Amino acid sequence: MEVSSAKKEAYFTATQMQLVRTRFFGNRTAMIAGSILLFMIVCSLFADFLSPYDPTIAGRDKEYENGAPQIPMFWDKNGFSPRPFLHTLTKYRGADTNFRWVYKIDDDKRRYVYFFVKGWEYKSLDFKINLPGKKFDFQFPGFTSDRHLFGTKEGGIHLFGTDKAGKDLFSRTLSAIYISLAVGTLGVFISFVLSLIIGGISGYYGGWIDSLLQMFTDAIRTVPPIPLFMCLAAFAPQEWSSELRFFFISCLLGLISWPTLARRVRTHLLSERSQEYILAAQMSGASSAHIIGRHLLPSFTSYIIVDLVISFPYMLLSETALSFIGLGLREPVNSLGVLLQNATKADVLLNYQWYFIPVFFLVVLILSFVFVGDGLRDAADPHKNK
Amino acid sequence: MINFIQFTVTRAFLSIVTLLIVCFIVFSLMELVPGTCAERYLAFKNTQGSQITFEDIAAEEKRLGLDKPFLYRYTKWVSDIVIKQDFGDSCILRISINELLSGRFVLSLTIAITALLFSYAIAIPVGIISATTKYASLDNALKFISYLGIALPNFLVALCIMLFMTVYYGDTMTGLFSQEYENAPWSTAKVQDFLSRAWLPIFVLGWNATAFALQTVRALMLDENDKLYVMAARARGVSGMSLLWRYPAKHSLGPVINSIGFDLNRIFSALPVVALILILTEAGALLIEALARSNDQQLAGAIIFLLTATIVFVNFVTDIILAIMDPRIRKGVMGGS
Amino acid sequence: MSTLLDIKNLNVQFDTDEGRIVAVENISLSVKAGEVLGVVGESGSGKSVTAKSIMQLNPGNTHYNEDAEIIIDGENTLKFTSKEDLKKIRGGKVSMIFQEPMASFAPAIKIGAQMVEQLLLHKPIDKKEAKSISVDMLKRVGIADAEKRFNQYAFELSGGMRQRAMIAMALSTMPKLLLADEPTTALDVTIQAQVINLIKDIIKEYQMGVMFITHDLGVIAQTADNVAVMYLGAIVEKGPVREIIKNPKHPYTRGLLKALPDINNLDAPLQPIPGSIPSPLERPTGCVFRTRCPHPTQEGKEGRINMGLIEVSPGHWVDRCGVNCG
Repeated sequence: MEVSSAKKEAYFTATQMQLVRTRFFGNRTAMIAGSILLFMIVCSLFADFLSPYDPTIAGRDKEYENGAPQIPMFWDKNGFSPRPFLHTLTKYRGADTNFRWVYKIDDDKRRYVYFFVKGWEYKSLDFKINLPGKKFDFQFPGFTSDRHLFGTKEGGIHLFGTDKAGKDLFSRTLSAIYISLAVGTLGVFISFVLSLIIGGISGYYGGWIDSLLQMFTDAIRTVPPIPLFMCLAAFAPQEWSSELRFFFISCLLGLISWPTLARRVRTHLLSERSQEYILAAQMSGASSAHIIGRHLLPSFTSYIIVDLVISFPYMLLSETALSFIGLGLREPVNSLGVLLQNATKADVLLNYQWYFIPVFFLVVLILSFVFVGDGLRDAADPHKNK
Repeated sequence: MINFIQFTVTRAFLSIVTLLIVCFIVFSLMELVPGTCAERYLAFKNTQGSQITFEDIAAEEKRLGLDKPFLYRYTKWVSDIVIKQDFGDSCILRISINELLSGRFVLSLTIAITALLFSYAIAIPVGIISATTKYASLDNALKFISYLGIALPNFLVALCIMLFMTVYYGDTMTGLFSQEYENAPWSTAKVQDFLSRAWLPIFVLGWNATAFALQTVRALMLDENDKLYVMAARARGVSGMSLLWRYPAKHSLGPVINSIGFDLNRIFSALPVVALILILTEAGALLIEALARSNDQQLAGAIIFLLTATIVFVNFVTDIILAIMDPRIRKGVMGGS
Repeated sequence: MSTLLDIKNLNVQFDTDEGRIVAVENISLSVKAGEVLGVVGESGSGKSVTAKSIMQLNPGNTHYNEDAEIIIDGENTLKFTSKEDLKKIRGGKVSMIFQEPMASFAPAIKIGAQMVEQLLLHKPIDKKEAKSISVDMLKRVGIADAEKRFNQYAFELSGGMRQRAMIAMALSTMPKLLLADEPTTALDVTIQAQVINLIKDIIKEYQMGVMFITHDLGVIAQTADNVAVMYLGAIVEKGPVREIIKNPKHPYTRGLLKALPDINNLDAPLQPIPGSIPSPLERPTGCVFRTRCPHPTQEGKEGRINMGLIEVSPGHWVDRCGVNCG
């Protein structure tokens, strides 16, 4: 079997990034996980467009509280229809249901599902940053739209059912994924910056600065993260707006996870620092900044990216855990954790099992990140055994 | 022998410094809460209808010694803990924190450590099997299970189990004790009751830890298996179980022991939320109570401190164990012959 | 002198993600008692694979051809499958020493314990006797303070001592055949000399056979009686050592000899063999050396000559393609 020389040529002159990319694409599990992840991210970015209802209290459907999921059908006893439809439900309460509200299905009346319908208004690409002090306010007016991917003309279409107040769970799940991802991204970013600075100083200068910073970092790492997180989160006064809480929680996430990341940065730096090419650069008179920027940083960029992706699921989990207890994000900003808050009550467990649907998405999200992270790690460091 | 004592003392010293730093962080957190202990307690009383005046607040502050400077109070807090093992009184509940915590913390510790042991008992043999089996499908299956274990956080597993139990069994398996034993003094019957219910939190907490430990053991074994000394041993005729245990497994033990402290840290981290879901009356749930409901920072600080102190201690012990076990460190520390 | 090892028509192939690759093609070698067979070649020539095949230490994706035979003491060890049979050749009748003595001792087990373990596996003796045999062997290889070293760990010994200890451990079961896989490559030159002399003494004393694998022709010249030159998994030339060095016939052997520095003319530029060894995935058909042969025949260059050894003088075999070109 002769490998063509063009391919060989390409292999030997590829940059590190290209090599990593090729290896990653060859890893089937990672590619599948990556596509799922990409799909979820795109869906979450277009959450408003994809949601037939406003996820906040404004979009509640009073006619259909605690309703079970409604799946559009193509077939019923009256025949086939290329356009999906739902049966109508009427609310009914009587002696035979112990006076609990129950929905009766009227399977003769069809409600058709339409696409690209007009619905509630939402804004896209609308940024409004409200930092303390008027000078830092920043507003970027996006565009408003009221088109949604699908909806019905009358009655509701609740793919994942509704909650106690009638809020559509499908829409809420979509926006929750977006918020969870956003919080996670911000947290990872803050953690990244902090750990680069501290880990960088520690690893580059070594000596007593390193020892001091390391003791400090290790002390923080010894404290169990979630309890520490909860303690810090409890500081946020009740009066803060949801948006402010959002930033606060992201900052907290970043603050708690930088020790682990900083340690990795420091380890990479320490091992690279003693490499001969650094010595060569120093002897040719390169400045510290130059060495750090041009030589050290690129050498472990791939490792850092891997570390960042791997730390993402922990951010997600921590935020979910926190919001779940009520110390994290609050209405109307809802994340997957907030959605789960009501899921532990007994009557929910018994009667309204669809409250658990967001759990499935959370698990898929985390699993995809884990697989992608592992795939990246294997791609960046092929010396790891199979 | 002298070297070993020196080594132990240095490690102990480092542990204490770490603990002091943590103390400082925890205490500062307690202080940063808006409103002093006195104000919050009285505000709490306010919600119950009593009328508070500024003089009352000032008097409270004086009584609690809150008018003294930060450093003084910090030193007092630390020395109280060290010398008298006294965490002071809870701000809101006005009971000695020691009383509140002692029983509960022991329960937390028991559950956490059992979960840890349980996870290693499973992860070590399974990890070794996964790394050395010839059947790729078995290895893949085990790998997949371990990924699930990592991705499914403890509290989600707890939630799902709760859902399952409630739907199919009606009775919720929550709580560490059944009604009758809740406040009863300890007896063999109570212990039995505890065991029959404690398996659930132990399982839930251990689930995640097992998955991590499994991946670690597997990776270590794969690494060691590739090393030359294993092939050299095979070339000498060593085979089977004895090859496995004396060579790669024995040499993988070090990093596993090293990670005990960190694994315990993860379990402690997951404990409060799981305890909340399963309605366990122990320190983790109490922490959430203190933070989310009553804003009782004294209590919260004490709990966090206790958890961290346990981990620092465990790290210290594992460091010493490693030094004894690994001949390279041992010879260096105790002086080669 | 009896033949201790007789390899006939050995073909070894590995299953990899890129397909099946040929590691060793049609090898026939033999070693007699009291004799050193040197096996020379670059990395990738298949030397280690051959040695490991003798002990069946190759990884699971290995394929041996049906009619290959590795005869030790009258038995074809390639057909061994049971644990007892395999134990016979691993550490019993055949012992192997490796390039990295530090890496071949388990780091956290005492040297003595590893030696005793091996002895107990192969001889019906008790622990005390095993220990005394081990200590004796350590003394025999020239380690002072053998009793003390017996109770130490590998990292406490110096490089040369470790190699000697490894030799001691390999010889303690009195094997008939010793496989030495680059035993001197990682050592300083002075230690190299000591270890080589040690091996030569031992062979004479115990009448063992040694297969000495190396890429260093100089060591072979000093140590071996016969030599086999391997390239990309095939033997290109084999015969008595003096004869091969004086009259190398294959262009590869000539190239190896020419690449050595000339002690009479230290300023002369070194003459490496042009080109580089192809990867096993691109093994040339026909004569494997044709991509680097300095003066190939037309047939040879196109790969139309199949490989096979011809005897050009008593005991001196050369590959038929290499005989014609030059």
